[in-house]
Amino acid sequence: MRPNFINHNLLICQFELKRLFATRKGWLYLATYFIVWYFILFYPIRYAADLLDEHRSSAHAGSFFEFLGFGSLLDWSIPAFGVYWHFSLIFFPMMSVAIAADQTCSDRERGTLRFLALRVSRNGLFFGRYISFMVIQFLLILLTLLATLLIVVFRDASLFFEAFNNASSILINLFLVLLPFTALMADLSATVKSARQATVWAILIWSFLAGIISALSSYLPVLGQLKILIPGYQLSRLAQLSEWETLQLAYIPVLQAIILLIIGRWIMQRQAL
Amino acid sequence: MSRSIIQCQDVSHSYSGKLALKRVSFEIIAGEPIGLVGPNGAGKTTLLSILCGFLMPSSGTVTILGHKPGDSRLCGKISALPQDAKFDPAFTIGEQLAFLARLQGFEVEQSRQEAERVLEAVALKQMLSAKPDTLSHGMAKRVAIAQALIGSPELILLDEPTAGLDPVNTRNIRSIIMEQAKNSTFIISSHDLAELGRVCQKVLLLENGVMSPMQHNVAETEGSTGFITLQMEACAADELMKALQELKGVIQVSNPQKNEFLVEYLPEKAPQMDIEILTCLAKRHWHYRQLTRGKSLEEKLFFTD
Repeated sequence: MRPNFINHNLLICQFELKRLFATRKGWLYLATYFIVWYFILFYPIRYAADLLDEHRSSAHAGSFFEFLGFGSLLDWSIPAFGVYWHFSLIFFPMMSVAIAADQTCSDRERGTLRFLALRVSRNGLFFGRYISFMVIQFLLILLTLLATLLIVVFRDASLFFEAFNNASSILINLFLVLLPFTALMADLSATVKSARQATVWAILIWSFLAGIISALSSYLPVLGQLKILIPGYQLSRLAQLSEWETLQLAYIPVLQAIILLIIGRWIMQRQAL
Repeated sequence: MSRSIIQCQDVSHSYSGKLALKRVSFEIIAGEPIGLVGPNGAGKTTLLSILCGFLMPSSGTVTILGHKPGDSRLCGKISALPQDAKFDPAFTIGEQLAFLARLQGFEVEQSRQEAERVLEAVALKQMLSAKPDTLSHGMAKRVAIAQALIGSPELILLDEPTAGLDPVNTRNIRSIIMEQAKNSTFIISSHDLAELGRVCQKVLLLENGVMSPMQHNVAETEGSTGFITLQMEACAADELMKALQELKGVIQVSNPQKNEFLVEYLPEKAPQMDIEILTCLAKRHWHYRQLTRGKSLEEKLFFTD
């Protein structure tokens, strides 16, 4: 039986997961990721959470954190997740730009994509790879959240349900936050020749898009609304929200991802393989 | 098997303004293998890439088995050996071939068996667990041919299948093509005219992006005259040409390259010209290397007046 679009996406997804979990290169990525997160969890997150725990009832502490711009940390019922949330809003988008930069470009340059394109439609290839990278990032976030959950529960087992609730809200939100970042990298990967070029272009596009829109909005303020097109536009506002409130801005990354995926599909249909 | 499998109508393609294919039109009927020849830069790879769906033509229409190239309904029906395409270095050959088979609709266990089958067909079963970067150029080419044999495609497009292969493997690939040709139609692009002459019954000629208006039939005689191509051991060309010219029914004898002679004759006057030539050579104790009925494919395609 000829596989359909969904079967192809699932097969591509399985293969990309195998690349991460069953190849030497994948293990190297995972080892690096876990070492980085080991240090983040056991130093900044744990100590910041301790500090917040000790001082959260004090009015001075509240104003101190407000002064630093981290007042929203105190809104989280479990401070460790508040700190995790702030870290992850910077870490994961950067990680997404790095790891999702090579969705199709090196395979296209090597010619491997030709073997695949004889069996899968270009839509299947583009969306299959995009979904794969979203699943991989979902799993990586999940693992770090589980580690944070374990740290919290290890210190106070009665916080399990509260911690689970916080972790769930972060998992869903981070997944949504990464949708447009991964979609932008999918578009660039379908256009350029290497992952490095895709990363450089991503940085340039962010910088210039933000600069151009800011410049234009100084002449015509209504154009400032175009900032909504920049992936990550909502991150500073997201950092001020806590737990399930963060879903208030979910429409922004979803909208951005849809627009970027439509553009990416258009590029992929016309690209020479 | 007499249905049209490929229809190209006024297909053009340009790279940065330079026209690589100029209004190419042709139709291919399912059946015997077809060769695609032409000098370097003639547009062969561009044409095959368009047929495979790797490139969009700048203009014109292409239909393969009733669908546009790249259509998902062609999955498993068309396969190809793309030029210079390499496998992913992160996975073993077996894993990648099994994955491609899975994408074609094979179940897990069947896909492993299919990977083994196609690797066995190109005599590389022992490389099932090898990584692509451990293969030599010739081995990598054979693995790429193996992926084109997965399943039972109706149309197989091979771009330079024997380039870089040793004679034993060239022969092996030839026999694979002959065997598979019972079920699939092959289109083979190659510079190796001798090889194409052995495998293909018809040849398409592409020059400077323009398709020759006629499909050359490898076997057929041309008009009312016959041709015999004679390859000799070292010999005196003038004496030999004079001797051949004196044979009854011979129209003319030419010497297109060293030690190779082309005899044009009238078959109705000398129906056994090959025997007469051999007798003539035997009388004079001249040693021949090869005698072939008809012109060589090279003569037919590129040096016909």
